[in-house]
Amino acid sequence: MTLQECYAAMGGDYNDAIGRLRSERLVQKFVLKFAEDGSYSLLQSSLADSNYDEAFRAAHTIKGVCQNLSLTRLADSSSALCESLRGGTPPASGLAEQVSADYQETVSAIQAFREGISG
Amino acid sequence: MKEQQRHSKRFLTWSLIAVLALCALVFSFLIFFMTQKSTDTISQVGGIYMNGMSEKISQHFKTTIELRLSQVEALVETIPPGSADPATLREELTYSAQARGFESLAFYSKDGRLDMIYGEESAITAPGPFLDSLNRGEQKVAVGLSSRGEKVILLGVSTDYTLPGDFECTALVGTLTADYIAETLSLYSDESLVYSHIIRRDGSFVIRSGDAFRDNYFDRILSLFEGENDADGQRYTEELRDAMNEERDYSTVLQFGNERRHLYCTQLAYSEWYLVTVLPYGELDVAVNDLSSTWIAMALAGFTVIFLAMLLVFAAYSRLLNQQMEELETARQEAIHANRAKSEFLSNMSHDIRTPMNAIVGMTAIATANIGNTQQVQNCLKKITLSSRHLLGLINDVLDMSKIESGKLTLNTDQISLREVMDSIVSIVQPQVRAKHQHFDVFIHDISTENVCCDSVRLNQVLINILGNAIKFTPDGGAIQVCLYEEPSQLGENYVRTHIIIKDNGIGMTPDFQAKIFESFVREDSARVRRTEGSGLGMAITKYIVDAMGGAITLKSALGEGSEFHVTLDLERASVLEEDMMLPEWNLLVVDDDQQLCESAAASLKSIGIRADCALDAESAIEMITQRRERRDNYHVILLDWKLPGMDGITAAKEIRRRFGSDTPILLISAYDWSEIEAEAKEAGISGFISKPLFKSTLFYGLKPLIETQVPAKEQAPEAPSSLCGRKILLAEDNDLNWEIAQELLSELGLELEWAENGEICVDKFLASPVGFYDAILMDLRMPVMTGYEATAAIRSLDRPDANIPIIAMTADAFSEDIQRCLDCGMNAHVAKPIDVREISRLLEKFIRLS
Repeated sequence: MTLQECYAAMGGDYNDAIGRLRSERLVQKFVLKFAEDGSYSLLQSSLADSNYDEAFRAAHTIKGVCQNLSLTRLADSSSALCESLRGGTPPASGLAEQVSADYQETVSAIQAFREGISG
Repeated sequence: MKEQQRHSKRFLTWSLIAVLALCALVFSFLIFFMTQKSTDTISQVGGIYMNGMSEKISQHFKTTIELRLSQVEALVETIPPGSADPATLREELTYSAQARGFESLAFYSKDGRLDMIYGEESAITAPGPFLDSLNRGEQKVAVGLSSRGEKVILLGVSTDYTLPGDFECTALVGTLTADYIAETLSLYSDESLVYSHIIRRDGSFVIRSGDAFRDNYFDRILSLFEGENDADGQRYTEELRDAMNEERDYSTVLQFGNERRHLYCTQLAYSEWYLVTVLPYGELDVAVNDLSSTWIAMALAGFTVIFLAMLLVFAAYSRLLNQQMEELETARQEAIHANRAKSEFLSNMSHDIRTPMNAIVGMTAIATANIGNTQQVQNCLKKITLSSRHLLGLINDVLDMSKIESGKLTLNTDQISLREVMDSIVSIVQPQVRAKHQHFDVFIHDISTENVCCDSVRLNQVLINILGNAIKFTPDGGAIQVCLYEEPSQLGENYVRTHIIIKDNGIGMTPDFQAKIFESFVREDSARVRRTEGSGLGMAITKYIVDAMGGAITLKSALGEGSEFHVTLDLERASVLEEDMMLPEWNLLVVDDDQQLCESAAASLKSIGIRADCALDAESAIEMITQRRERRDNYHVILLDWKLPGMDGITAAKEIRRRFGSDTPILLISAYDWSEIEAEAKEAGISGFISKPLFKSTLFYGLKPLIETQVPAKEQAPEAPSSLCGRKILLAEDNDLNWEIAQELLSELGLELEWAENGEICVDKFLASPVGFYDAILMDLRMPVMTGYEATAAIRSLDRPDANIPIIAMTADAFSEDIQRCLDCGMNAHVAKPIDVREISRLLEKFIRLS
C-alpha cells in the first residue's frame, strides 16, 4: 500500500498534505505518528466521564491535527463533534459514533500502511 | 406610356381585322373560282360526252341504215331485173322483203310514183332530194307518212327493173316504221338523261322524242326562251341553222331560267337529216351545287378555324404585351428611383465631402498664418486630422459601394478569434462612447467556439458600422449594448450560429426609413438628423457583407425608443485545436451587477477549472468574502466590475483591502479603456485589469499570470523571507503531533522554535527568558491547564518591556467571534489551522518588523 492509497482509504487529501508539508517523508512520518496520538483516547474517556469541556478540547485537537495532515473525513466529523461539544454541552447523537468509525478506519488504514512498509 | 400601350393595342386590333379580311377575301375567291371551274368542267365533260354520244348514235344510225339498204340491195341482187316475169318477181320480192321485216316494198319510178309490191303506200314528206339521189343511182333514205298516218322511213336503192306500162323504175324502196329506227337508236330511252331528235335542215322533225311538242325544233328552242330571252333563242337558232348549212357539228349550252341543257347537233349519213342530242343539266347541276355547297361549308369551317386561331394568338400576344409593358414600367420606375437616389446621394456627398475639405483647407491656412504659435498649430492639426479621417471614411464607403455594385467585393475568410474581434471593436468605439458619456456594455454567453472562420476585416466593418450608428444616433448619456451568443447551426456540426445583437436607446427610426435603410444611397434626411453626416452607404455595405457571408441582418426600431440590429451568421468552426485551458481549482468571486453576464462568466470559469461564485453588488460581495474567510476557505481571486450600483468597483476594492488585507488578487473588469483609472485603481489595491467581454480565453489569459505569482510563491516561500532566519519563536501547543508538524515546517524558514505544552508553561517560559529573547509567540487557543486566551492576557499584563511581543493565534476555529476574542485578548493576529506556512511567515515578518 502506498501512502497515496492509504490517504484514499482514510478519506484524506494527499495532494493537500504534500502541498503543506512539501515532502512525502514528512507526511509519512506524521501520519504514522497520528496512530499513536493520545487525543482520541482522551476524547473517549472524557465522553465516558461526561467531562464535555475536556471532550471538546480533545475533539478540537483531533480536528487540528487532522486539518494539518489533511485527513479530511475525520477532520469533518471531529469538527462537527467539536462544535456540538462547544460550551460543555453533551454531543448530539451519532456524532461521537461517527468520529469513532472514522477514527477506526483511519487507524486501520495507517496500520495496514505501516505493515506494508515494514514488511 | 399609356399612350404607347393604346397605340400598340390599336395596331394589334387593326392588323387582326386586316388579316381576317384578307382571309375572307381569299376564301370567297376560292369558293367563287371553284364553283365556276366546276360548272365549266361539267360543261366540258357534257360536251365531250355529247360528242361521243352523238357520234355513237349517228354511227348506229349509219350502220342501221346501211344494213337496211344492203338488205334492199340484196333483194335486188338475188332477184335481178329480168330474172323472172313481173308476177313472179313481185312474189319473190315480197317474200324476201317480208322475211327481212320491211313494212312494205315498192318500185319507185323516175317521175316519183310508187308501185307498191306489198304493204301500204306512203306519202314521201320531201320527195325531191330523195328522187334526185335515186335517179343519180345512189342509195337514199327519206321519211314519209303511211296511209294510216304513221311516220315511216323509206330506204331506196337504185335499180332498173323493167315493169309493164310507162312505169320506168329507178329504185326499189323498202319502208320501216320510224318507231323502229327510234327504238333501234334508243332515241328516247327512259334510263338515260340524254334524248335525241332527228331533224331536217329547216328544223322540222324527222323523229322526235316524246316530250317535244312543236313540229319544228327551231320553234321549240324559241319557245324555251320565250318571254325571258327571245334574243338568246334567236341566236341559238341562227347558230344551229348556220352550222347545219355549213355541214359541221354544233355544240352549245342552252341557258334558260334555272335550267341548262347541252345541245349537240351532227349530220346523219344517207340523208338530209341532223341528229340533235340534248342533255339536261338538271341532275348534274344538283350534284355540282352539292359539291359547291360542300366546298363553301368546308371553306367556311376552315375560315372559322383560322379565325379562332388568329383570335387566340392575338389575345395571347396582347396579354404578353401588356405584361411586358407592366414589367417595363416597373423597371423604369426602379431605374428612375435609383437614379434619383444616386443624384441625391451625389449632391449630398459633394456637400459632405466639401465640409471636411473646407475644414482642412481652412485649418491649413490658419496654421500657416500662425506657424509660430505652437498651441494654435496643434489645435489646427488636430482638427485637420479629424476632418481627414472623416473624409477618408466617406471615400472608403464610396469605394466599397462601387466595389459591391461592380461585384468585386470578395471575402477573405480566415481563422479568427471572436475574442480578438470583440476586443478590437471595444477598443475602437471606446473613445467615442466616452466622449458622449454613454453606457456601453458587452454581454456574451453560451460561447462554445471562439475560433471561427470569417473575414475579420469585413466582420469588423459590419460591427463598427452598426455600432458607429448606434453611438451617433444615441444622445449623450444613452446606453448601448452588444450581446454575443452562439447556438448550434443548422448547417451541421462544423458550423456554429453566432448571434450579435447591437441595441441602443437612441433616437430610433421611422418605419419608412426602416424599410429602406439597407438600400444604397439612403440617409434619413429630416431635421432631427440633419446635423449627423455620413455617406448613407454604411448600412447598404453592411447588409451586402452580411449577405455575402450567408448571414442575415434584421432590425427592430421604434422612433424615440432606440434600435436593435440582430446579425446572425453561420460561421465555420476553425480547425485549430483550442489550447487546453485549465487553471488550478481556485475559488473565485465574480462581482457584476448583470446577473446574466455574471453567470456566463461563472460558466466560462467553470470550464477552465475554476469554481466561481457570483455577487451582484459590492455589498453582497463583501459579505460573501467575509463568510469565506470565516470558513478559512478564502477566495483566491476576486473579479470586480468597475461600474456597480451603489459602491463602485474601485471603492469596493478599497473596502476589501481595508477589511481583509492585500493577500487576495483583485482584478477589475472593464469594457472601457482603463488607462485613465489605472493609477487610482492601483492605489485602491487593484492587482490588475481584465477587459470585457469575458470570453473563456479572456479569463484564462487574464488569470494565468496569477498562477505564477501564487503557486511558485508558495514553493519559494521557505527560502524567500531571510529576515525570519534565526528568529526565536515560542510555540504553545498541547498536541505533540501538531507541535512536530509546526516545528518541522517553521524550522525550514530558519526559525528557532521553543515548545510550551500549555498556556501556563508558555507564560513561565516567557517569564524565564531574558527581555527580547523571543521574537514572537505562536499560540494555540485550546490547551489544558491554561488556554491561549488566558496565557496571552497574562503575558500582556506582565511588567516587562517585551510584554507587547507579537502573539499570533493558531487555531482550528474559524469563527469570527473567536477571531474577535483573540484580538480582544491582545493578540496581534490570527491564523487558521491547518498551518499555512506562507501566511504565518507573512504575519511574523510583518509583526516582528513592527516591533
